[in-house]
Amino acid sequence: MKVAIFDYGAGNLHSLAKALERDGTAVTIESDPVRAAHADVLVLPGVGAFGSATERLAPGRDAMRAAILDGLPTIGICLGMQLLFDGSEEGAGAGLGLIPGHVTRLHAVRVPQIGWNEVVPVAGEPLFATAPLPIAYFANSFVARPADDASVIAWTEHEGDRFPSAVRAGSAVGVQFHPEKSSTDGVRFLHAFLDEAGTMKGSR
Amino acid sequence: MLTRRVVVCLDVKGGRVVKGTQFVNLRDVGDPVELASRYEREGADEVVFLDISASAEERGTLLDVARRTAERLFVPLTIGGGIRSANDVAAALRAGADKVSINSAAVTRPEILTESAERFGAQCVVASIDARREGDAWRVYVKGGRERTDLDAVEWAVACVQRGAGEVLLTSIDRDGARSGYDVALTRAVSAAVHVPVVASGGAGSAAHVCEVLLEGGADAALLAGILHDGTSTVAQVKAAMRAARIPVRAA
Repeated sequence: MKVAIFDYGAGNLHSLAKALERDGTAVTIESDPVRAAHADVLVLPGVGAFGSATERLAPGRDAMRAAILDGLPTIGICLGMQLLFDGSEEGAGAGLGLIPGHVTRLHAVRVPQIGWNEVVPVAGEPLFATAPLPIAYFANSFVARPADDASVIAWTEHEGDRFPSAVRAGSAVGVQFHPEKSSTDGVRFLHAFLDEAGTMKGSR
Repeated sequence: MLTRRVVVCLDVKGGRVVKGTQFVNLRDVGDPVELASRYEREGADEVVFLDISASAEERGTLLDVARRTAERLFVPLTIGGGIRSANDVAAALRAGADKVSINSAAVTRPEILTESAERFGAQCVVASIDARREGDAWRVYVKGGRERTDLDAVEWAVACVQRGAGEVLLTSIDRDGARSGYDVALTRAVSAAVHVPVVASGGAGSAAHVCEVLLEGGADAALLAGILHDGTSTVAQVKAAMRAARIPVRAA
C-alpha cells in the first residue's frame, strides 16, 4: 500500500511518517498535490497555516477533490481535517469543500488549545470501536464548524466550546487531534485507519 | 476537558543528555532518544530537549538527535536553546520538533515570534522566559540566566503573546534546582495576564509542588527534570498525586 503525505512546506512530518509505517506500507512525502492524490492512501498532515496550505493545494485542488470523491481513502489531521471544509477564517483560499461548513476560532479564553483532551465518539463508529482513543493530543486555535452534524463521528469540548474532533465523509476521515502525537493509542488509531483504507481500496 | 500536563525536560549537550548544577559539573546520563522514549512509556505528556551546548559544532548535532527522536517518540517534542531566527525554527520543526521555544533571541529581536507564528502557527511557538524576583516583581534574564534585562516578566509575557507566542514556558531562576517548590506567585501573575497555556518550570521537589503550581499558580503544565532523572519521583507518582487532588490528568 502506498501512502502519500501531502507536504504543505512546513513542519514535522517525521513522526507522522514513522507512525504510518508498517509491513506492507510505503510512506512517501509528496509536495505535488496531483501526485499525492495518485497514492493508495492520502494523508493531509497537521502542521502549518490554512492560507499557506491552500496556496500549495490550489494547483491540484480539483484533482485531489475528484480523487477523494472517487473513493481515495484520505485522512486529514488537524489543519488537514480543516482542509476538508469550504474555508477558514484563519486564512484565504478554498478548502477541498468535501464537507459543508467553515473553520472558525475556538470560543475559549485559553487559545491555542494545547494538550490532551477527551474524545467522545458517536455510537457505532467503527474506527473508534476498533482503536479506542479516549484522550488525544490537540494543538489548535481553530476548529471546523460543519453545516450539520451528519459528518461528525466524535466530539470534544474546550472551555464549553463543543467542536467536532473527528469527521467522516465518504472515503475521507478528518481528526482535529494529532494521532501521531497521542502515544500508543494514537498510532494504533492510524493503523486502524490504514486497515480500513485497505478494505476500501479493494472495493474501489 | 483539557487535562493538565506533565512535561519532562532533558538537558542536551553535544548529542547527549547531561546533568549538572548551574551548567557546571556536567555528567553524561544517557542517550536522548532512549530517555525520551522511556519517559513516554512512563506517561510523560510531553518531552522538552533544552540544548545547553556551548559551541555551534555541538549544537549542530541537536537536529540529528531531534530527527532520531521524532522517529520513535509519539508524544509532542519541544526543542529550545540557541534558536536565533525563524529559519532556526524551521530547521528544528523540519528535524522533528513539534514546538520550538525561543528565549534570548526574542528579547534581542521580538519579531522572531511573529515571523515564526505566521509561518508555522502560534501553536508551535513557545516563549521561554527566565525570571528572577526583584522586590514585588520579577525581572527577565537572558543568556541562560546570566544577563539581566530591563524587562518586567509579566509585561514581557504579555508582549510575547501579542507578538505571536502560543505558549509560555516560565522558569523561576530563584527556584531552579532548589527543589523548594515552583514560584507560585510568579506563575499566577503570568497565567492571569496571558490567554495562552503557561508551563511552570523551576523548583519541583515533589509531586505536591506540581499540584500546588497547577492549582494555585494556574499553570496548564508543570515541567520536571531533576527529581525524575535521579529517581526521587516518577511520572506515575506525580500523576497519582494530581488525580488525588482532583486535577484532570491523562492516565499513563
